[in-house]
Amino acid sequence: MTPNAASSSGPSRRGFLTSTAAATAAVAVGSPLLAACGGGGQEGRKEGTTSGKEAAKILPAFVASSVVTPDIPAKNGSAVGFTRAIPTAELKTSVPKTPGSGGKLKIMSPFWGTPPKGDNPYYTAMNKAVGVDVTWQNQDGVTYDQKLGAVLASSEIPDVVVVPGWNLMGRIPSAINAKFADLGPYLSGDKVKDYPNLAAVPTEAWQRGIFGGRLRGIPMPAPYVTDIAPLYRKDLFAKKGYTVPGSPDEFLAWAKEATDAKSKLWACDDMKWTAFNVFGVLSGGDKALWWNLEGDKLVNRVETEQYLEALEWTRKLYAAGVVHPDAVQGKAGGDAGNRFTAGEVLVYNQNVSDWWGKTAEQRTQNADFEMEAFDYFGPDGGDPTLWAVQPANIFTFVSNKASEQQVKDFLALCNFCAAPYGTKEFMLTAYGVEGTDYTVEKGLPVKTQQGVNEVNGAYDYTGNPAPYIAYPDLPEITKGMVEWQQRMGAFTKKSSFFGLTVTEPARWSNLADDFEQLEDDVVRGRKKISDVQQAVSDWRSRGGDGLRDWYRKLLDDNGSAD
Amino acid sequence: MKKPGRWSAPPRPVWEEEPSRAGQAGKGLALGLACLAILFPLWIVIVTSLQTKKTIDEAGGLVVIPKGITFVAYQELLGGGQVQRAALVSVGVTVVGTLFSMAVSVLCAYGLSRSGSLGHRWILMTLLATMFFGAGLIPTYLLVQALGLTDTYLALILPSAVSVFNILVLRAFFMNISQELVDSARIDGAGEWRILFRIVMPLSRAVIAVISLFYAVGYWSAWFNASIYLTDQDMMPLQNVMIQLVQKQERPVGLSAQINTGQLSPLAIQMAVMVLALLPVAVLSPFVQKHFKKGMLTGAVKG
Amino acid sequence: MSHSTVPRGTTEAQTSPQDDGGTTGTTKGPAPSGKGGRGPRAKKAGRLAFRIRWRRDRALILMTVPALLLVLVFNYVPILGNVVAFQDYDPYLSENGFVAIFESPWTGFEQFERIFADSAFWHAVRNTFVLFLLQLVLYFPVPILLALLINSVVRPRVRAVAQAVMYLPHFFSWVLVVTVFMQIFGGAGIIAQTLRRHGYEGFDLMTNPEIFKYLVTAETVWKDAGWGIIVFLAALSSVSNDLYEAAAMDGAGRWRRMWHVTLPALRPVVALLLVLRVGDALTVGFEQLLLQRQAVGVDASEVLDTYVWWNGIRNQDFSYAAAAGLVKGVVGLGLVLTANKVAHLMGEQGVYKK
Repeated sequence: MTPNAASSSGPSRRGFLTSTAAATAAVAVGSPLLAACGGGGQEGRKEGTTSGKEAAKILPAFVASSVVTPDIPAKNGSAVGFTRAIPTAELKTSVPKTPGSGGKLKIMSPFWGTPPKGDNPYYTAMNKAVGVDVTWQNQDGVTYDQKLGAVLASSEIPDVVVVPGWNLMGRIPSAINAKFADLGPYLSGDKVKDYPNLAAVPTEAWQRGIFGGRLRGIPMPAPYVTDIAPLYRKDLFAKKGYTVPGSPDEFLAWAKEATDAKSKLWACDDMKWTAFNVFGVLSGGDKALWWNLEGDKLVNRVETEQYLEALEWTRKLYAAGVVHPDAVQGKAGGDAGNRFTAGEVLVYNQNVSDWWGKTAEQRTQNADFEMEAFDYFGPDGGDPTLWAVQPANIFTFVSNKASEQQVKDFLALCNFCAAPYGTKEFMLTAYGVEGTDYTVEKGLPVKTQQGVNEVNGAYDYTGNPAPYIAYPDLPEITKGMVEWQQRMGAFTKKSSFFGLTVTEPARWSNLADDFEQLEDDVVRGRKKISDVQQAVSDWRSRGGDGLRDWYRKLLDDNGSAD
Repeated sequence: MKKPGRWSAPPRPVWEEEPSRAGQAGKGLALGLACLAILFPLWIVIVTSLQTKKTIDEAGGLVVIPKGITFVAYQELLGGGQVQRAALVSVGVTVVGTLFSMAVSVLCAYGLSRSGSLGHRWILMTLLATMFFGAGLIPTYLLVQALGLTDTYLALILPSAVSVFNILVLRAFFMNISQELVDSARIDGAGEWRILFRIVMPLSRAVIAVISLFYAVGYWSAWFNASIYLTDQDMMPLQNVMIQLVQKQERPVGLSAQINTGQLSPLAIQMAVMVLALLPVAVLSPFVQKHFKKGMLTGAVKG
Repeated sequence: MSHSTVPRGTTEAQTSPQDDGGTTGTTKGPAPSGKGGRGPRAKKAGRLAFRIRWRRDRALILMTVPALLLVLVFNYVPILGNVVAFQDYDPYLSENGFVAIFESPWTGFEQFERIFADSAFWHAVRNTFVLFLLQLVLYFPVPILLALLINSVVRPRVRAVAQAVMYLPHFFSWVLVVTVFMQIFGGAGIIAQTLRRHGYEGFDLMTNPEIFKYLVTAETVWKDAGWGIIVFLAALSSVSNDLYEAAAMDGAGRWRRMWHVTLPALRPVVALLLVLRVGDALTVGFEQLLLQRQAVGVDASEVLDTYVWWNGIRNQDFSYAAAAGLVKGVVGLGLVLTANKVAHLMGEQGVYKK
């Protein structure tokens, strides 16, 4: 086996897992049994949300972590940045003694890859350090939603269940309210101080964990700055003397010049998500984020002019032939990232963590490879208007059949895993056992082959610290990513329902389903903008206006999260 | 007389005409084109599985003209030992499942091969209806769980043990066997069981081979049931493990050592998985074809 | 002298199966059909027939029991779960999904109304039928022709190799098939790039909604036609050489022999598969179409199965999905019964006989 290069360092667990638009449809649909909306209350399926005063009663207090100081502090909703690797001797301890009681927990979570053997050194060490004996039920990520639906319908559910936000559709929210425990008695207010690492989780992330009027889910925090960045081949730009375009028109002009289909080079890949950000369209991930109060009226994303403008610009790109043909295929066309590293496209948009991912990957392949995220520009070249995304999208719940001791053990585990970068607990959780799973080479932790197989993401969802970016093997890129987020964060506004987990009424759950397909059709020239306008007016009459009134009432009753 | 080579034609029977040149050329062309249409993509798959990441990136995807050969993809797949274990599981499930399914299906097909027998239509309709109406995952899952089959190998066999399509095909072939043969056996007092085993089955070797093949392929390729009903990784059959291995390569975090050193592309792993999946087919194909020789069942009944 | 047909039924006849109803010839005593008959004597005769038939067919019925049991348990019990099509089903209402059936509210035919009122549904149905007819004409005959082609090859090695090659695509995953097609016919594919290098415009076959149905059919032919020859080869291989010899003796030439010996051997299998295919008309592909949905748009690629998945299963809307499944099942059953009737009219047995 070839020796490891000095990479495979700092994992940014959230990077990989943050949902892109296609995956999320965090529409939580309750049943119409209880027509009342909002507020706290009893168990059962509940429409609405909880915010304002009601939420304040349940949310945990926030106590910033003082254990480690990040190299780059958070600003404007960005993650914190860590650019250097902390030597083992300097690692801090955030969990002084073994917190768990030695009890057992069965955890069901999605898993992409091959689960390691149950008794491997990493799991053994984790179990010992946390004091909880975990039996993993790692389910194939591909069929997770179906398995989840089926398991929750049975009478035997595992002690702990992970539910990604994109699985929160159909009847799942009612399952959450019916089957999962209320963590409020353990975490609300000052009680969270028993779990100092959890107290350091931002309050807006906790807010997202409120389901059915109770705090049920441990959130996986994410920065609220948009997670999709436009990435470009800095090395190829330099070689050809291109400068990064500063407006949509400039981009289109540049793209036409840069495309050379004969030599298998296209300017860009599908840029729809960039377009949405450039033209200031409301965030498309979570359904609740589609609404914003403008003046006195609640306006939906699809009704705005910006939405149509963004689609029109993307359509122009496709029509001009500057988009790689495989991108037209959508997911079936393969990975845009591969086209990017192959040099067939010069610009693509993806989760900003790809900035590190692709650079690390290409380091040993292509010494010249260099990429960067460029800043969003506004519709006429000026400052953009960006909208915040949800501060947490993946939640972990405890079964309400679990004993009190088991809940405490679970929270102890989450507290352990939420230890920040620079602590012993973090190194164990993220890298495994030193010497077996990773070694320190030239000051950087490098996973061994065994480590790669064993430390494979099992503990990714059971507690996480406030959003962070830590790639000590590529500190310039870490800095670049954080600063990009900070700059974009300065332009980021929060829409009316930011930070809330809203359960829409069942009868309107599918209303906006077809818009994404319509968007794809329009940008590829199969349908026209007028078709979108027609679809919007259909949407209005079929329930869009009703939904607007419903959301309005929610806003009036609860106030927004801020 | 020229010694017949391995590729030459067997001696022609007396009554058969000499094949025309045009006819032979036409047949050759048709077959050649068909095979080419298949072999070219196959070539791409095999070649891509043997390329380094650099070559794949340069080609922007699948590779047609290879640049060197590397076995890293196969090393990654076969090195961990999971593939071998999973292959054993799959072989076990396939063998047991096929035998079980064939036993049940052959019996049922023969039991229905006599139109007009008591309850014939009712049973047939009962079976046929299941081809059109399916059940959602939740009821099926609850049932399997209620029967205590979750996390057992039986969950991979029982729920899909019966394929009505296969039974119907078997039945059609059984019914085609000369009725005189069967009837005369019945008149002689032979019981149905004996007729089945002594007369019908020996005459049905081709279709039994075919349906066994269909079942075997079904069991071997199945992955959904394991994904839903099994939680123990050690019990996972081959297809699931392969899918996991492909996913593992695609995770940007926790990259395999090979990706970090730039050798291994997820695409290469995907192609290698495909090649490994095709190997059993290519290897076992000759055994299957034994049953399709021309006119093999000659003269079973005379007079 | 050259027109005598091959005598039927001498050895293992591969002609259409015997039409004797199976009730005569082996029982001891009269065996009336047991249907109809009103008079007391006929009635007594009917009862007699039952007992006799039971004694005669007892073993046969017993043989079907294992399959029946499995089907009843693993198919019929869960199918009962489709009752949620008439409800607003929430599996998490109670302790478990089963009890929840009794506690979820009933909505009658509301789900069905929802389906039938949706224009997208009818569009999907139209697409499904168009694709089905296209595949029937362009795909269904291909395995038969290939089987005849292989069957006519005499050299055993060539036969073996050709067969081995033809079986392989069946084992390719759809993802791989679409990727391969894309690499060859796509906008950045081999053909397009070669054209561009010589100064012509590239083209993209994979994203054209107009020709999508032909593309899909081509993909299906490539992937499954080879595998489909197996059943036909089995049928062909059970034709005894004596029949060919006899035909040749009677002066039948090569094509004549094919018409009178080979093709009739295939007729029952073709009829069976055709009837079953018609019954399955509403299933024209799923994964293959989902993969290419974004490439050609919903209008071109939506069929019943993808429609149900997009609107029902993806949203975990179980009532909706169950209702759609019931609609599909009822129509499919109706289709197969009709097709079977047609097959009867043409003298074939089809799936079952009256």
